[in-house]
Amino acid sequence: MSATLLGQSVLSGIFSGCLYALLGLGLTLSWRYLKIINLAHFAFIFLAAYLTYQLAGPGGRPPWLVLLIVVPLFFALGVAQQALLDHFKVDEFASIIVTFGMTILAEVFIQWIWSADFVRLETQFLRGSFEVGAFFLPKQEMLMAGASLALCAATAGFLRFTWTGKALRASLDNPPIAASYGVPGQRLALMTAGAAGALAGVGGAFMALLFTLAPSQIYTWFGVVLATVMLGGLGSAMGVFAAGLLIGVCEAVTMALTAPAWAPVVPFTLLIVILVLWPERV
Amino acid sequence: MLSLEKLDVSYGEAAALTNVSLELADGEIACVIGPNGAGKTTLVNAIARLLPARSGKIRISGEDVSGLTPQQLADRGVALIPEGRRLFNTMSVEENLELGCYRASLRSGRAQSLDEIYTMFPILRDRRAQKAGTLSGGQQQMVAIGRALMARPRLLLIDEPSLGLAPVVITQVFETIKAIHARGVTILLIEQNAAKALAVSQRAYVLDCGAIVAQGSPAELRARGGINEAYFGHGG
Repeated sequence: MSATLLGQSVLSGIFSGCLYALLGLGLTLSWRYLKIINLAHFAFIFLAAYLTYQLAGPGGRPPWLVLLIVVPLFFALGVAQQALLDHFKVDEFASIIVTFGMTILAEVFIQWIWSADFVRLETQFLRGSFEVGAFFLPKQEMLMAGASLALCAATAGFLRFTWTGKALRASLDNPPIAASYGVPGQRLALMTAGAAGALAGVGGAFMALLFTLAPSQIYTWFGVVLATVMLGGLGSAMGVFAAGLLIGVCEAVTMALTAPAWAPVVPFTLLIVILVLWPERV
Repeated sequence: MLSLEKLDVSYGEAAALTNVSLELADGEIACVIGPNGAGKTTLVNAIARLLPARSGKIRISGEDVSGLTPQQLADRGVALIPEGRRLFNTMSVEENLELGCYRASLRSGRAQSLDEIYTMFPILRDRRAQKAGTLSGGQQQMVAIGRALMARPRLLLIDEPSLGLAPVVITQVFETIKAIHARGVTILLIEQNAAKALAVSQRAYVLDCGAIVAQGSPAELRARGGINEAYFGHGG
């Protein structure tokens, strides 16, 4: 195998990894800070992807304008979902079942509106690649990777340095005491869910830009993204980014050296190895 | 400042506090003493609005606060130093202190308040980047006190500050409480160590089995033989 081919594999692995991180970021926030393992996050991503497909299709609006619609809409959807889960006092374990149910409903809804067939967003937005030496850097993937890094870094900075970020962490450590110092726990929870929803919206827009969509595709992302989230350490925004890169690059190199069929083995092997060596990670 | 009228608190069917009345004047320091399981922590949590009252009134400066949320109570200038410190363990010392001045009206005073706390407890300045959960018990108590002072409280509720601390540290903690009171903060001190608590208090209440069984000045309570044997035998 040539060095160029291997290099191109690593590059494509980096892009995949950035996407895993982008899709996992909202998930890791709600898992850690809301104690909700939100499988419906994947449904939100696909709803946003289909909406982007619908709005940005041939002769439609430019994708950045679509983002201005999708982000607030999915923020609101996240808030509504959290209000519902909170109302029924859904705990961490039950959240898996409840949000899986929501995902099935969303799949049916997507099938009803857009059919079960594959659809593809046709757009001229950022078509083509940069060529750097022997390597190809697709423009759409570059934008996605930049967005993923920017959002992960911004989230980490927000959690670490802002009053709201600190209040959120305090609320996680000790809810009643945080409340007695004025931290509005419930409002912060709704905001966090909204942010996770908005991140699903962004992830969905890129999903539409980069992939062919079908409702059944929702489930193909569960494994690798959940592995990324766990590997990254729950609630850690830069952790999810690093874990995404690690999984993406290992997958791509495995595919290049063996066969594509081996790729799915990678994230779970990595996860198991790290859980064995470093059990306090999750 | 603080007035409790016939406060009842229960956990389900089990009554934890019955008919508790208590008065605390502006600028006063009073203690509630009593044995383990008397309901002392229940009392302070009920005042802090972390537990609902079944009946009775909690008044702060005349206002009935029994229906308020903990956040609204914080706005009234009440701060709590809870039993067992209950710090934000995964956060740094400085972040714990900052949470004390989380409310919007306090944030502009953050730097000044931090400086005051670090002057009061110089060790915390050295440890400010350390995770609060990894400090010694005495240092954790300093963070808990500092966090509450960052809120610039009018009324400070202190629950079992001596719990789990070495005798020499306990003495320091009570010196600190005296100093805070000298700055004009009204204090309700909940303590099992009756001798220490009475030494700093102007008024004392004895709580047993969820009811106030005696009250008066520390001198009066010390003079009553029966109470002395029942409650003041330990601690010291």
